[in-house]
Amino acid sequence: MAKVLEGHGMGLLRKWGLHTPNYVVVSSTEEFEQLARANEWLQVGRLVVKAHEALGSRFKLGLVKVGLTLEEAKAAVKDMLGKQVEALTIRQLIVSEMVEHQDEYYAAVKSTRDGADILVANCGGIEVEANWDRVKKLAVEVGDSPSDGALLSLVKDAGFSEHTAGRMAEFLKKLYACFDNEDAQYLEINPVVQRADGELVALDAVTLLDADAKFRHPDWNFPFAAEFGRPYTKNELEVMEVDSKVKGSVKLIEIPGGTVALLPAGGGASVFYADAVVARGGKLANYAEYSGDPPDWAVEVLTEKVCSLPGIKHIIVGGAIANFTDVKKTFGGIINAFRKAKAEGKLEGVKIWVRRGGPNEKEGLAAMRALRDEGFDIEVFDRYTPLTDIVDMALATS
Amino acid sequence: MSILATKDTHVVIQGGPAGVNAARRMAEFCYLIKRPINVSAFVYPPDAGKTNEIIYGTDLITIPVYKSIAEATSNHPEINTSLVYIGADRAYAGAKEALDDPRIQVVSMITEGVPEKDAKLLGKHARKLGKIFNGPSSIGVISAGECRLGVIGGSFDNLVACKLYRPGSFGVITKSGGLSNEIIWICSQFADGITTAIGIGGDAYPGTDYVSYLEMFEKDPQTKAVVIVGEMGGDLEERAAEWFAAAKRRIKLLAVVSGFCQEALPKGMKFGHAGAKEGLKGEGSARAKAEALKKAGAIVPETFGALGPAIKRVYEELLERGEVRPIPEVSPSELPRLPKTVEQSMKEGEVLVTPLIKTTISDDRGDEPLYCGYPASELINKGYDIPHVIGLLWDKRLLSKQEAEIIKRIIILSADHGPCVSGALATIIAACAGIGMSQAVAAGLIMIGPRFGGAVTDAGRWFKHAVDNRMSVDEFLSFMKKNVGPVPGIGHRVKSVRNPDTRVKELVKYVKSLGIPTPHLDFALEVEKVTSAKKENLILNVDGTMAAVLVDLGFPVESLNGFFILARTIGLIGHWTDQKRQGSRLIRLYDYLVNYAVPKRREVPPLQ
Repeated sequence: MAKVLEGHGMGLLRKWGLHTPNYVVVSSTEEFEQLARANEWLQVGRLVVKAHEALGSRFKLGLVKVGLTLEEAKAAVKDMLGKQVEALTIRQLIVSEMVEHQDEYYAAVKSTRDGADILVANCGGIEVEANWDRVKKLAVEVGDSPSDGALLSLVKDAGFSEHTAGRMAEFLKKLYACFDNEDAQYLEINPVVQRADGELVALDAVTLLDADAKFRHPDWNFPFAAEFGRPYTKNELEVMEVDSKVKGSVKLIEIPGGTVALLPAGGGASVFYADAVVARGGKLANYAEYSGDPPDWAVEVLTEKVCSLPGIKHIIVGGAIANFTDVKKTFGGIINAFRKAKAEGKLEGVKIWVRRGGPNEKEGLAAMRALRDEGFDIEVFDRYTPLTDIVDMALATS
Repeated sequence: MSILATKDTHVVIQGGPAGVNAARRMAEFCYLIKRPINVSAFVYPPDAGKTNEIIYGTDLITIPVYKSIAEATSNHPEINTSLVYIGADRAYAGAKEALDDPRIQVVSMITEGVPEKDAKLLGKHARKLGKIFNGPSSIGVISAGECRLGVIGGSFDNLVACKLYRPGSFGVITKSGGLSNEIIWICSQFADGITTAIGIGGDAYPGTDYVSYLEMFEKDPQTKAVVIVGEMGGDLEERAAEWFAAAKRRIKLLAVVSGFCQEALPKGMKFGHAGAKEGLKGEGSARAKAEALKKAGAIVPETFGALGPAIKRVYEELLERGEVRPIPEVSPSELPRLPKTVEQSMKEGEVLVTPLIKTTISDDRGDEPLYCGYPASELINKGYDIPHVIGLLWDKRLLSKQEAEIIKRIIILSADHGPCVSGALATIIAACAGIGMSQAVAAGLIMIGPRFGGAVTDAGRWFKHAVDNRMSVDEFLSFMKKNVGPVPGIGHRVKSVRNPDTRVKELVKYVKSLGIPTPHLDFALEVEKVTSAKKENLILNVDGTMAAVLVDLGFPVESLNGFFILARTIGLIGHWTDQKRQGSRLIRLYDYLVNYAVPKRREVPPLQ
């Protein structure tokens, strides 16, 4: 799942015929001044200014301002741009028109095993979270489209009055078309509001797309946003860059403040290693994983980043018994990076724990064992030691 | 018995190199269990009509490649299973084609990064047809002693170590490829091994999930217990728990679930598998899954490490109740062994191979070439030059600075001699005819012989013969006249005593200035004195001078023409490039440059 920022999500909704408030995405005060002269709606109505970044709880951080006149909006733009929130600098803002409305509604489409659920409630905003039982659901099988009749009875079931029911059914039909055709995995509009002219408008959009489908959407010309409320770090971006170039995969997420660094093989095994560290009371310094027989240089880049994590005491080079990842070759990349890190003094006081099996395991493990002669603090185990025992041993020593 | 992949499974592999690699691994397994290879055909349009060669024991099996599934199944009606190794953007179409073939009942997709919608559509399509769509991103399926689909099970040694040559009593279902292998290993260490292990793939919505396979295992009498490896995200584990609790089940269920760490990690963090992600509202957490499975009566060890002992306890109970009998161990000597390659056997000192060729100058087996033992990069770094490389590769010695300078001058002096000489003209004609560099330069090199540039070796040979035999100039000239003919290295087409060759003069002057012994050069100059007195153009030419100097330096006589060939190649490449750059067009000889000494036109008589 890949998260898309609000402006790009709004663009996709419009593409499929849904109404959104007028909005502009700005990255400088000059740009906003120019846009204000060019767009009448910016001059006459009330405005909303929000940070257009991958950030949670923007309200609390003071990065959402509502009900502004143009002059107030200009001040807000000037104030918010360049603001620092931890490692993130606010570089983009979305300025949209405030839509006067009475009632708020909720609409969403969510991927399920058999297709998707269309969700709707005749309340919206924070009210819907307190009244989850008012959300009504229509399951649509993959490859099918919801019928007009089914949508109409869904919205009636959700308690929409006669004169909005038709419009809401139409809104949901378009929302589903957007979901289905854009390879979305989750679309949530909260709130949907009714404009004075009766038209339903999507005020805010949560958009998660299927990144794997990018190859058939040439118009997805926007970057995907990090999903955990902070932007990617430099090291993470560098590993993602490598990941996108190679056969197999390398992955890294940094977790500040941890002491146990992970460098395991396998999308499945790596999570068991993370679990083992947490279960033993250890503090993870990262999540990492390499799999699918990646080239040794890609594993080397990943290892360099792991060795650079500040304050680490252990590196867990774990892994199950590989099917086709060459242990000797991938360990070659790890060993290169270990040597480099040691020469740079990065592995001072760090203990390395290895457990692995798979093609060429004997040679790979022997090469790791040989690092002891070079002065590395390293313990090496083979397939006869259960998967996560090295974590137990590591945490027993500290 | 086993499920999904059995003795009767016959496979078509859709895809290119990755599919061929899988076929090799599958052939290794077939060889281990002493059954014929289970891959009947490939479908890969770019290679349609060709064949792939797969090693089976010591044999090479030829397997045809077809354009379409229909073509494959009509030629090999035994095919009932397809493995999809096609890229993510075309995987849907490929898998659909396989599902739509009436003969194919199982389609397993290895491709990763397939759009979720495509996987769902394929799953729905398969269910409608009553077939199985396994994957995407599945490592494969393996049934011990019966059938391997894909690379699951790893290397041949691992297949043996995990006793996959005969069935055990445990079924395995995992999302992760690496962990499927780990669990197979654990089952072979703590119990009697597996019946079938299935990788369902790590995506959020696999085509076929735990429940369908649990139902199949439930109906397989050989399987007594099933191990599943779950992870946070989605509801597959909850559904498995629901199924297990819904009725009295014959099989035992063991499960481990990963993702407890999520409680301590940033929300929304993405792990290695696409499906390994908690829902937006926290549903599908590892804890919720483990609880659901426990409540349903499954054995859920607290950690992955506790899984082995838990499997052992289940196995011991099964033994106690007489539901399984201990399987007598097979001695490794009774199992087929993968034939070693020649390289492996040589490494282990088991075979002696008579070398086909022998080299005494160059070794490329390390990380960089060694010239007579010296690493090329070290020669660069220590200031050595091209003449030194010539010295190493042609005469197996490191030249002195002085010797290298002489060779450098020889190369510079003979690098080119204009477009009119035989070699350059041949290269230019070839270049104008649109011939490529290597062939056009070769056309020029072919001209080097007794009359053009190729007299160096012969000149060297006879000057050396004279000096070695302490001949006088007169003795030498009469010897040559009697036995050989004109003296190689003496005589020039245009140069003469009054119009001397500056190149010869300069080379002789430089070599003489060094004060080194030059018996062959001295002898050649003596010869020149005599011959040029007889006829003005019988001077010591460039070939003869080079020859005498190089013999003085100690180069082997056989190598001497090499100096001219090497030097002139520089010029020939220049001429080819020059013509190319100009965009020269095809040329032909003008008829006025030909003396047509031919009969006049006449009538052809009737054929007799």
